Amino acid sequence: MPPSQDPFYAGLGQAVRIGTELLAALIVGGGLGWIVDTYLLNSTPWSLVVGLSLGGAAGVRNAYRAAQRWQDSSGNSGTQG
Amino acid sequence: MEESPLHPFELHNYIPINVGGLDVSINKAVIMMWVVVVLVTALMLMAGHARQLVPGKLQNIAEWLVEFIRGIILDTMGQDGMRFFPLIGTLFLFIFFCNVLGLIPGTYTVTSQLVVTAAFAVFVYGLSLVLGFFLHGARFLGILIPPGTPVWMLPLMVPIELVSQLARPISLAVRLFANMTAGHTVLAVLFGMVITMPLIPLPLPVRFGLLILLVVLLSARRRIIAFAGTWGLVGLILLGLALATVIWIRWIPFVFTVVINAFEIFIAFMQAYIFTTLTCVYLGDAITPHGHSEHEPAH
Repeated sequence: MPPSQDPFYAGLGQAVRIGTELLAALIVGGGLGWIVDTYLLNSTPWSLVVGLSLGGAAGVRNAYRAAQRWQDSSGNSGTQG
Repeated sequence: MEESPLHPFELHNYIPINVGGLDVSINKAVIMMWVVVVLVTALMLMAGHARQLVPGKLQNIAEWLVEFIRGIILDTMGQDGMRFFPLIGTLFLFIFFCNVLGLIPGTYTVTSQLVVTAAFAVFVYGLSLVLGFFLHGARFLGILIPPGTPVWMLPLMVPIELVSQLARPISLAVRLFANMTAGHTVLAVLFGMVITMPLIPLPLPVRFGLLILLVVLLSARRRIIAFAGTWGLVGLILLGLALATVIWIRWIPFVFTVVINAFEIFIAFMQAYIFTTLTCVYLGDAITPHGHSEHEPAH
């Protein structure tokens, strides 16, 4: 059986993913906020704050989506539990 | 003798080339990439050459790899995604071989350079955008609106979705880069300890005598276990480890180096697998924006 169908590997792959998912969204949100602050609006630090919150929300959303996708696929193939 | 654990990540320019202020020198990473390309091509060509009904060793490996990549694509994109098999397969094989070959001492891990992983990630994400707009036109912007969002939530949800979309290439690039760099730094530190860890100071004859004692103990293990049972075994192991530590304390980092190296092979595979899976997921999102990847379960 190729490991992509092995629930252990698939599960581990999903689990390792989620951490970086949170971090990357924070980086993007904070980075966008910082750019708006420094170069566009000169509004330090308010858009950084807004950007970080948006980034946090987006990160949670990405992680949630990844978990949901995993649940869907494992529920379907009957390997749950 | 003391080297920085980050030394393996330095690039040494072998042939400096400078095109209009752009540094395109031939360095370790470039040569390593060429090696990987040649190796993968040769492996797949040789494996595909025979095409026997009962596969030989090489053909077996190649068939396993193809089957594996096919499994990833079918899991995430469905039958539609098989169009992308050449791209996905190339990506997986290249990243996997870069990761694994970098574990051989003296070689270079190309994927520990952020610029390499970022180039892959930006390419993959850009492809998914181009594909999405090509297939769906302006309606593709609908991926910014999660299905079932009430209108008054849109000012909040669209920026969140925008950030979560932009985070995709970054998470792809950073994940691969960070895993490879961290693993190789740990290996470099441990291997540095094998070379530099101070030994317990003993005159050479004593060290030699202890070594003989250890060998005698090990060769008499049957008799000791027969005489003292399980406790004899436990005592033998503890005494053996203590003797080994006194004689050559560097066996501890050495064993760790070997164990972590094995673990790193697993990580190398895992990271190539994750990168490919996510590539498929993103391309699949571009083909069917709110399609099977989120609601209908994958096959």
